[in-house]
Amino acid sequence: MSDSGYEDRVGREFPGGEYTLAPWRVWLTADVLLDDPWDEVPHPVLAWMAGVAGSGMSWDDLFAWFDATAEDGPMFGEHHTTLHRPLEAGATYQVSGRVVSVVRKVGRRAGTMDVVGYELDLHLAGADGREHVARCYNSIVFPRRRA
Amino acid sequence: MSTAADVGPGTTIPSLELVVDPEKMKVMTALLADPNPIHFDTRALAALGMDERPVNQGPLNMGYLQTMLARWAGGRDRLLSFRVRFQGNVLAGDRVRAQGQVVEVRETERGRVATCEISLEVVGGAVALSGTADVLLEETG
Repeated sequence: MSDSGYEDRVGREFPGGEYTLAPWRVWLTADVLLDDPWDEVPHPVLAWMAGVAGSGMSWDDLFAWFDATAEDGPMFGEHHTTLHRPLEAGATYQVSGRVVSVVRKVGRRAGTMDVVGYELDLHLAGADGREHVARCYNSIVFPRRRA
Repeated sequence: MSTAADVGPGTTIPSLELVVDPEKMKVMTALLADPNPIHFDTRALAALGMDERPVNQGPLNMGYLQTMLARWAGGRDRLLSFRVRFQGNVLAGDRVRAQGQVVEVRETERGRVATCEISLEVVGGAVALSGTADVLLEETG
């Protein structure tokens, strides 16, 4: 392992925002998964979808933080969702997020790559303050063919 | 599923099999606002020198595993934690199988929780995702 030159991005916060689990999104998400669209509990994959959509960043924005574009072929690495409570249809979640790690690796076949980890938090505003509903961690692998 | 009391290490989760439909991928593209053409545009795939079958979105692949877990555990509200590594692509028209097995059962503040090893594989092909998940079997009264 060596320095990627992007270590200073660790801790950088996403702009954040809000995301509402509108009933139509809940219905269509279950339907595209060939699951029951009439189930009242939103599908858990919506935790990640809400986090990404409410992060205040586009994929291109995030790639640009690491001097990459979609043409460089970034790939999903790992994913981890923790649900502290189930999602609710119709609820509006406050989304925050940040870069948590940057690691340069060199694979025998894949060559040099930077693995960037980021996490997204969903909070629900309620009478008792902000309740932490979910955290999603994801890593993106950026191939560095020229490194 | 069988009663929560019957679940223990080695219990097999009923698998879930389905064929990946490119029309669903188009809807997911809109839901995700994901402009990447590899998920819907066969002409773009050809131009990139890739298989002309669109590449399924990662969240759909994750979702199949979560659906399997939720159906087994008795509801979507039963999933507590879900961790996977992306190992390969799933293409339109592929038949995939979500599968899993319990490796540990423990008592927690929220109730009885099963830790499961899970994977999504292309039938006749390679593993696309593998990882672990915690599901709530029985809530503390």
